[in-house]
Amino acid sequence: MSDETVAVSAWQSGRRGLGDSVSLAMGYAPIAFSFGVISVQAGLSPWQAVAISLLVFAGASQFVMVAMLAAGSGGLTVLSAVLMMNLRHLFYGPALAMRLTSLPRRLAPWLAFGLTDEVFATAMAKGASRPLAPAWCLGLAAGAYLAWAGGTALGAGVGAGWASDGGYVAQALDFVLPALFLALLAQAWRRARWPVVVAAAGATLLGMLWWPGHVAMLVGMLTGAAVGSRRPRSEYSQEATT
Amino acid sequence: MTGWGVVIAAGVGTFLIRYLPLLSGTRLARGDGWLSRFLGALGLAAIAALIVLSMGDLWWQAPHWRGGLRLALGTAAVLLVQRLTPNVGLATLLGAGVYGVAGWALAD
Repeated sequence: MSDETVAVSAWQSGRRGLGDSVSLAMGYAPIAFSFGVISVQAGLSPWQAVAISLLVFAGASQFVMVAMLAAGSGGLTVLSAVLMMNLRHLFYGPALAMRLTSLPRRLAPWLAFGLTDEVFATAMAKGASRPLAPAWCLGLAAGAYLAWAGGTALGAGVGAGWASDGGYVAQALDFVLPALFLALLAQAWRRARWPVVVAAAGATLLGMLWWPGHVAMLVGMLTGAAVGSRRPRSEYSQEATT
Repeated sequence: MTGWGVVIAAGVGTFLIRYLPLLSGTRLARGDGWLSRFLGALGLAAIAALIVLSMGDLWWQAPHWRGGLRLALGTAAVLLVQRLTPNVGLATLLGAGVYGVAGWALAD
C-alpha cells in the first residue's frame, strides 16, 4: 500500500471516529457546560475554567479541583486529589493498545491525552468485535474533546445567566451518559462474559456504600477484570466472532 | 503552588498517567498470560462499573419509585433500540428521550 493510500485510509478512519463520537459528545456537552458554570460561580475566571478543560480533560476530577481551589486548599493537596482520582486511567493504555491494529509512536501522545473513561469505554465496545485503527480512536477522542472544551467555554461564558431550570430536556440530558454506557455494554455483550459484568457491577455497587465513586469504580473495574482473567483469552477471541 | 501551576501540573500528571502505560501496552499485550487476559476483560468491566456509577448518581437524585421507573424505562428503551438497530447513537438518544418523557409523565 502506498503512503498516500495509507494517509487517505487514516483520514477516513479519523472521520469515522469523529462521527462515532456524536453520542459521546452529546453526553459530554451538558456536563462540561455545568463545569463551566460551577467554575465561574466558584470564583475562577472563564479563561481558567476553559484552561482546566483544555489541559486536564478528566471530568470528575476537574469538579473536585475547582471545589478544592474555591475552598482555599493548598496546591499540593489539590494536585494529589486530582491525580489520585485519575489513577484508574493507568490501566486504560495497555488495554487499548491490545485492541489497536498498530500503535504509531507519533500518535501515542495524542491517543493517551484523549483517553477518558467514556472514550475508553466506547473504544473497548467497538474493539470487542474487531481491531481498532489508531486514527479512528483519535477521531473519537477529538469529538469528545471538542464537546468538552466547547461546553465548558459556553458554560463559563454565558452559563451563569442561564441557571439550570431542571426542565425535562435537562433531565433527559442527565441520562445520556448512562444510556451510552448501556448501549456500549449491549454492543460488547457476549453471553460467556456475564461473570465479568456481574462482578464489576456488584463490586462497584458495594464499593459505593463505603467509598467515593471514583474509588468504587476502580475497585469494580479491577474485580471484573480479575474475574475475566481466570478464563483463557482464546475464549474471548472465539466469542468476538460469534 | 499557584492556581495556574496546579492546573498545569494536574494536566501533565493526568497525561503521564495515561501515556506511560500506553507505551508499555503493546509489550504487555503479547502472549496469553494472566496480565493479557486481565487487560482483555478490563474494557467490559469498566463499562459495567460506569453504568452502576452513573445510574447510581441519578437514582440518588430522586430515590423513590418514580425515579426507579424512569431509570427502568430509559434502560429498556436503550436495550430495545440497540437490539433492533445496532446503532449506539440512536439507542443513546432514544433512551435519553424516553427518560425525559417519563419524567414529564410521572411528575406529581
